[in-house]
Amino acid sequence: MPAPAGMFDTMQGDTWTMGLRIGVDIGGSFTDFAVLDESNGTVRSLKVFSRPDAPGREVADGMRMLGERYGIDPAEVVHFTHGTTVGVNAVVQRKGIRLGLITNRYFEDVLVLARLKTPDMYHLMSSRPEPLVPRYRTFGIDGRLDAEGKQLEPVDAASVREAVAGLKRTGCEGVVISLLHAYRNPEHERQVRAIVAETAPELFVSCASEVWPIIREYERTNTAVIGGYVQPVVSNYLTSLQEALRHSGVTADLKVTKSNGGVMSAERGKTDCVQIVLSGTASGVIGAAWVAQLCDLKNVMSLDIGGTTADVALIAGGEPQYATGEYIGDHQIHIPSVSVTSIGDGGGSIARVDPFGVLKVGPESAGSTPGPVCYGRGGREPTITDAFAAIGVLGQTALGYDSVRLDVAAAREAIAPLAARLGESIEAVAEAIINVSISGMYSGISRLISRFGIDPREFALMAFGGAGPMLACHLARALNMERITVPLTPGVLSALGGLIADTRNDFVAVAWCALGDEEWASLERTRQALEQEAIGWVRAEVGAMAQPELTYTAEMRYQGQSFEIETAFDAEAMRTKNLAALREAFHQAHERLYRYRDEAAVIQVVALRVVAKVRTPRPVLTPVPDMAEPAKPAAVVPCWMDGAMRQMPLYRRDVLRAGDRFVGPAIIAQDDTTTCVLPDFEVNVDRWGNLHIINLAAAT
Amino acid sequence: MALSGSALQIFANYCVAAAESMAYTLIRTAHSTFVKETEDFSCALITPEGLAFASPKTLGATWYIGLDYGPVLGLIKEYRPGDICMTNDAYSGSVATHTPDILMWKPVYYRGEIVCYVGGHIHNTDMGGAVPASLSRRLTEIQQEGIRFPPCKIVDQGELDEGLLDIMAMNVRAPSQNRGDLQAQIAMLVNGEKRVLEIIERFGIDDFKAGMYQVMNYAEKQAEAVLKTIPDGEYFFAEYADEDSENGKPMRLALTLTIDNGRAVMDYTGSDPQLASSLNMPTGGMPRHALALVGFHYVLYTLNSDILLNSGLDRVVRCILPEGTVVNATAPAAVGMRSLTCKITHMLTFGVFSRAIPERMPACSAGGMAIVTVKTMDHAGRGVMASLGPVGGGAGGVATGDGSDGSGANNAFLRNTPVEINELEVPIRMRRYCLAPDSGGAGTHRGGLGLTMEFEVFTPGTTVTARNRDRTYFASWGVLGGGAGANAIFTRNPDGPDTEALGNTDVVPCKPGDRIRLVGAGAGGFGDPLLREPRRVLIDVLSGYVSLEAARRLYGVVIDGSRIDEDGTRRLRQDMQCARPERQADVFDFGSYRTAFEARWTEARYRELTTILARLPVAWRFFVKHQLFDALDARLEAGGQEDDAALVQELFADLAKRYPTLKSQATG
Repeated sequence: MPAPAGMFDTMQGDTWTMGLRIGVDIGGSFTDFAVLDESNGTVRSLKVFSRPDAPGREVADGMRMLGERYGIDPAEVVHFTHGTTVGVNAVVQRKGIRLGLITNRYFEDVLVLARLKTPDMYHLMSSRPEPLVPRYRTFGIDGRLDAEGKQLEPVDAASVREAVAGLKRTGCEGVVISLLHAYRNPEHERQVRAIVAETAPELFVSCASEVWPIIREYERTNTAVIGGYVQPVVSNYLTSLQEALRHSGVTADLKVTKSNGGVMSAERGKTDCVQIVLSGTASGVIGAAWVAQLCDLKNVMSLDIGGTTADVALIAGGEPQYATGEYIGDHQIHIPSVSVTSIGDGGGSIARVDPFGVLKVGPESAGSTPGPVCYGRGGREPTITDAFAAIGVLGQTALGYDSVRLDVAAAREAIAPLAARLGESIEAVAEAIINVSISGMYSGISRLISRFGIDPREFALMAFGGAGPMLACHLARALNMERITVPLTPGVLSALGGLIADTRNDFVAVAWCALGDEEWASLERTRQALEQEAIGWVRAEVGAMAQPELTYTAEMRYQGQSFEIETAFDAEAMRTKNLAALREAFHQAHERLYRYRDEAAVIQVVALRVVAKVRTPRPVLTPVPDMAEPAKPAAVVPCWMDGAMRQMPLYRRDVLRAGDRFVGPAIIAQDDTTTCVLPDFEVNVDRWGNLHIINLAAAT
Repeated sequence: MALSGSALQIFANYCVAAAESMAYTLIRTAHSTFVKETEDFSCALITPEGLAFASPKTLGATWYIGLDYGPVLGLIKEYRPGDICMTNDAYSGSVATHTPDILMWKPVYYRGEIVCYVGGHIHNTDMGGAVPASLSRRLTEIQQEGIRFPPCKIVDQGELDEGLLDIMAMNVRAPSQNRGDLQAQIAMLVNGEKRVLEIIERFGIDDFKAGMYQVMNYAEKQAEAVLKTIPDGEYFFAEYADEDSENGKPMRLALTLTIDNGRAVMDYTGSDPQLASSLNMPTGGMPRHALALVGFHYVLYTLNSDILLNSGLDRVVRCILPEGTVVNATAPAAVGMRSLTCKITHMLTFGVFSRAIPERMPACSAGGMAIVTVKTMDHAGRGVMASLGPVGGGAGGVATGDGSDGSGANNAFLRNTPVEINELEVPIRMRRYCLAPDSGGAGTHRGGLGLTMEFEVFTPGTTVTARNRDRTYFASWGVLGGGAGANAIFTRNPDGPDTEALGNTDVVPCKPGDRIRLVGAGAGGFGDPLLREPRRVLIDVLSGYVSLEAARRLYGVVIDGSRIDEDGTRRLRQDMQCARPERQADVFDFGSYRTAFEARWTEARYRELTTILARLPVAWRFFVKHQLFDALDARLEAGGQEDDAALVQELFADLAKRYPTLKSQATG
């Protein structure tokens, strides 16, 4: 595949070695490469098919093709980051290891019970997700701490040995130890681990209090279980990838992207697998945040639509939003992650007419296999992508891109029966399919908007992924959003995000005290311990001289509430013990989110957190050339839009120049995606080559 | 004007999004846990006639789909733009269903015309009255259940009526919380109105007006299609609550379901008379009252989860709710704890549909879920009151698999409180929080297990409250050969010398060192246990969910260590099969308590009882029911054998002799 004509200038950093930076993101269907050449500031991209059957092979394949196509010398690679779905797939396909769990006696059903609520509350047969460790591989031991971490009963060694016998009997390959209140005092878990190590040295062991020491036993335990479940799979994968890279001649250390949007060394990734499970979606948002920064956009809603999912994330004040409790399939993982919400299915969602003559889209999806009908890979049922082919947005052959050849006739044929049922034309039904799917995504985003109480009009929609730019105008219209941004390389934004991501790690300690004078000394001790831990991590990761940027936050609430708000803990206020300022910060956060404050209430600090970060220098874009004359369309094509067949210009993305401006309808095609511009939307090309599309109806 | 088939789902999605947006606004801005965590609220977009045409699908309580605002809409003389109306009186139009539920609605004006309403209710933690939280089984009149507002304007043309708020504040126990929640409710309606106007802008007023009826027509057609898959006919089922009042008699609810070509009649005739406790449902006899149709909505959604949740679903059904019965109480009967009775109607509805389509319905879910609260003192002597969370049981087994354990089906919308949080916030020690072995009804697909919670208290004067307990005596039934679930158990100091069974007690005063154990009921099993895969029985045994003994006795599976004894299992199953009496395939297993109860109170006798009671003035019914229960027990104890309704008539005649007033009432 040819590279989009992205040109980047050299970086800002002063201690950075010139060379090649490569970011790789492995998705379900494709593996994306983004290569930044620091000497001349160009970015090249490459897509190859993913190889779920032989993970790691796609990276070797890609490196070879980069060499063949662009003459890239692996020895010049100074920075190699990688995001992978190996962990996600292990969870979703339930292909992790045979894991056991040791917990307190009479509390062994922690994973089965979860938080009791079932996902579909109107369905009598709805059930909670099946735990990754079944109950018969869970063993209770005797020994108990109280809520302050004080010992009520000592660990009973005999009961632990019995548990180990159970682990062996049930063929466990590893075990997670998770005891009540261990986030306060890990001593009991360590005692248990010592006995396990002694009696079953072959077992992989993980203590939940060391994975993410938060209060709430189910959340903590299940997070550690997800980590343990994928650990050997991910670790082996990383080892084989390191070998593959060495064989390819890459000498740079492999770094892996993390769910928190940062990177860490692959070596650490092998033991801290839980951190990299959601790295793919997170990197996309990091990439979007970087583009937003380049474009001077403070508030952005990122929209990543691929073949099987549509995800949105909020970037507010330039910062991606973080949360815990993100979903991996049906399972929630409680470590800080870039907050991404699935709002529906992707371009592969299937359309049908129900027995009552009502048009429906999804939830069934053709995914990437067999995929949409027009891909000609065995898909039989019409999808959203087929609808775009049927109206003429996709499959315009005038461009000659050597991407998947689209079979437009097949797409139309697949929609024809639906059109017959509804008594409308194929084009009208195809457009209705798009609108039904948009109304579904609208519901999903509407939920997000209402939950956080934000106004979508204050956000720009940044569309990427294979299908994002295709649906962006429709969605902006539904949400009454004023502007859309389509980055220069929307197909490889996750790979690009990984390439510029900072080294970053999160640390937490439960404080559980009032934000008051009496409690301050203990809070300060907790903070110092966290600081030491954070600095230690960074030094081990980056080097003894590294100076991390530390950002403190606290999970706080009014006493009696059952949910916390993560609130910034200002460094200066902490240094000067300015309790009033810290309290005010929480009142404000509460007011922003919930529209009221309670000055009389006690503010409780549930946990203190710190983020340690070492910045990775950002590349700076070289402006694309200014336009000399308005861009010429490659062709004028017929296309059905807003209820009528219209003639509209079809542009190649790579001929657009800074300052180009035109009003829709229009189609803008590039090798990895197509942007559909509706009537009443105005396209502006900025000096970095990004498209800014203004919704004229909303802007007035 | 009308929306086409290709536009209808789009319109429906926008309407549901508007309703969900209302719900989120409420959750986000409310103050009380009841709204924020328990999500005990509802909201909807409502036609000018008062019918809900869109509600949230993922938020709020599941009970209020199709709540008909019609009767209260008309109780306001004149609407003006900017008005918001409210009521919490169960007897003003039968829309609010107990005093803590404040119902509000707001007319949505477009070009000077009311085009629809937005509305919703929230459960306030306390509305004053005789007891904290305003709810107790013991209360007998609605006047004891807190302050009531008849339908009135809380906001008049944009002006909040502070006077009304002050009256409320003076009468409730946590006024600032009520005020905060009320403001959140207003914010929800204002947001709902805004969202509706956006929909009108998008679709045009004509399509909007047509669209709201079209989505209801669509739901009606969907519901009709579901009912058409059910064989026409008349089906009867009865379901019981352990007690109709504190330490009372069993309460029976009866339901005759008639399915006729995609239409249904749900006749509650045969249900018990209204009670002198607060378990009454105030439906006003409305043929489509939301409370009488909760189970119906669960059934429809389970059979087709594509259905739109709006009141169009209810057009295919009509309820008969006889006046003066527990399903249609007349003023001033107390109604605070109508939730317990309403839950019985869910299981009643599941049961009657199970009669019609047993293979497609789950066995009975656990029922009787209790919310446990503790009032105690911390080390510093400060009072602490906290909810420890729900304790109930799982879902019934179904054709496709086991019922979910610990919670499920209609008892799965509440989240629990983590053990670590409970121990940090309340000075108690959790001893157990796990599933109860052998509690799920046996079956090819096992019923979900009950949940066990056991804790120790440390301070004198500690009080444990467990509201809504049930299923201590009656069990959740199994179907198609599946067994009934185990009963709920409430014990003080279990496994010790001073063990005390607490039955269905609501409030338990405790002393230091007391251990309180609650075990939720198990759900019913589905299908013949002898057909359960031995491997699954083994997994249950290894998991501690089924004992070795029960594996043999109920499932005929012989387990040797951690292996199945294949030969032993085959032989045992053969022997059990041979020793079995001929059984009808559609048999329900109701458990021993109900079987014994129905041997005394046969269907004929109970029908006679309800016939007699129906003829009496409401004030007499509850009293007479209790008298006849005692009389029948005494007669059967004495060796009475008559197996027919005449016995009940005779006992009533005896009673009438003793109470001459009653005699004149019955005949007059």
